[in-house]
Amino acid sequence: MDFHNTPEYKSLRSSVPLRKVVVEGNVEWSYYDAGPKTIHNPLVFLPPVSGTADIYFRQLLSLSATGCRAISVNHPVVWDVPSWCQSFHLFLNSLGIDRVHLFGASLGGFLAQKFAEFSGNGRRVRSLILCNAFNDTDVFDQTSACSSFWAVPAVVLKKLVMGTFETMNMDGSMVAAADFMVQKLDALSQQELASRLTLNCVSCYVEPQNVQVLSSDVTLMSVFDQHALSNSVQNEMSKLYPEAKKALLKTGGNFPYLSRSDEVNLYIQVHLQKYADTVYSATEPRQFLPPPSNPSTSSSKPSTSAAILTDSDSDSDNDVEPSAKTNTPVAASVPERPVTSKQQSQVLLEQGLLEDSLPAEQELQMSPMHETAAAAAAAGADDL
Amino acid sequence: MSSRRKVLLKVIILGDSGNQYKATIGADFLTKEVMVDDRLVTMQIWDTAGQERFQSLGVAFYRGADCCVLVFDVTMPNTFKTLDSWRDEFLIQASPRDPENFPFVVIGNKIDLDNRATVAKNALAQESEADNYNEFPTAITLNKQENTNSKGGCSC
Repeated sequence: MDFHNTPEYKSLRSSVPLRKVVVEGNVEWSYYDAGPKTIHNPLVFLPPVSGTADIYFRQLLSLSATGCRAISVNHPVVWDVPSWCQSFHLFLNSLGIDRVHLFGASLGGFLAQKFAEFSGNGRRVRSLILCNAFNDTDVFDQTSACSSFWAVPAVVLKKLVMGTFETMNMDGSMVAAADFMVQKLDALSQQELASRLTLNCVSCYVEPQNVQVLSSDVTLMSVFDQHALSNSVQNEMSKLYPEAKKALLKTGGNFPYLSRSDEVNLYIQVHLQKYADTVYSATEPRQFLPPPSNPSTSSSKPSTSAAILTDSDSDSDNDVEPSAKTNTPVAASVPERPVTSKQQSQVLLEQGLLEDSLPAEQELQMSPMHETAAAAAAAGADDL
Repeated sequence: MSSRRKVLLKVIILGDSGNQYKATIGADFLTKEVMVDDRLVTMQIWDTAGQERFQSLGVAFYRGADCCVLVFDVTMPNTFKTLDSWRDEFLIQASPRDPENFPFVVIGNKIDLDNRATVAKNALAQESEADNYNEFPTAITLNKQENTNSKGGCSC
């Protein structure tokens, strides 16, 4: 199974454009923004070292179908944690986003915590979902080497990352998830990879007193089978957030958001439901709307997904060109893909071959279908 | 601690009693760690809104369950009658490998509500009907379960 060929992945790439924004300091952020733009407290996904923004395609699709605004970002090329936080702060400003719910995996989870610390006592971060994350870069034992990562060839850096990918006791979807991540890793430029690894390994830790206030707004997601981080890291995280909800998965490997997406999505929904009736909701119906147009979630769902579709459809035409033009030579291999897949889908549309795009749109509206399909796939994989 | 073998058990609570969750999902979970012999067992307990609406949770919710707790409200006999359908629903959705021997636990909830004794008596009378369950090799217990939101219970 190749995740690139799944209807879900194609659906994301054909319906949600990869946007770019350059913030102060000439730092470029590229991101996918799915779901209703009226929400100012979205769920923002931060990828691990090896991943790009599209690794969360299964979350973006299924969550946006439930009325949640979900944004997934690519890490920009910055070389230290404070710069990342400052730049992310400016990025959120540029999108007009007030407070965020952050989902971070591994490095993404570490940065999510550092950003919560940076922005101070939940002023910018409303809640955290940390997946296989860590709170101290010491666990990688690379703090001395990281100062020279910028000069190390990409091939060596990639080997360094792939060394942490376990291949034991994996089922079909976990193997597919690992393959997918290796392809994403391959697509990263030396600069991108080196900067992420530097962030990952430079001596830095989360100061407990600064994140204490968030403790009850944290969900710690971890898998019980093998993954790159040791159990002691999980215990450290539990100590850091004693009141956190523990979302445990029996299996899932390093990338449960790919290999166990339906369970991960369920946990995310449970996490977000706590805020559903507050001003910090990441999900429609929104509180700032005039009271008459109120709740009844079941009836608002279809219109929500319809809104997403029309919105992104109209946007995509405008956005293809800029994203193609802003390619830097170094990062050429990354943004090329969205363009090609988009062109393909446009060609298909022009030819009247709508099979590819229409089912994708229908699936957006019928997320349970996604779940059953994914479940069937996972079950099939289990049998193997 | 970390060297000790860890076990994760997924427990699902079903039934028509229980709190109504306002939110859209209709389910919540909590984790509880218990020591069994020398093994650290992490129980992941999923509680549901007790209404059909949570069926939108789909297979992901049921998958990998190790135990199913069927809860009824002793003050509302109907909630006991619907347990059969809850069990069937579970077996269909979770499709455990060995459905014949899958552990089910039945819990009577709100036994402490004396002011509704009449209704409670009716419900308790139905406990004898619980013997019917013995035709299926499922475990029947009525006891106090701290992990649930039971306000009380009786053991027999």
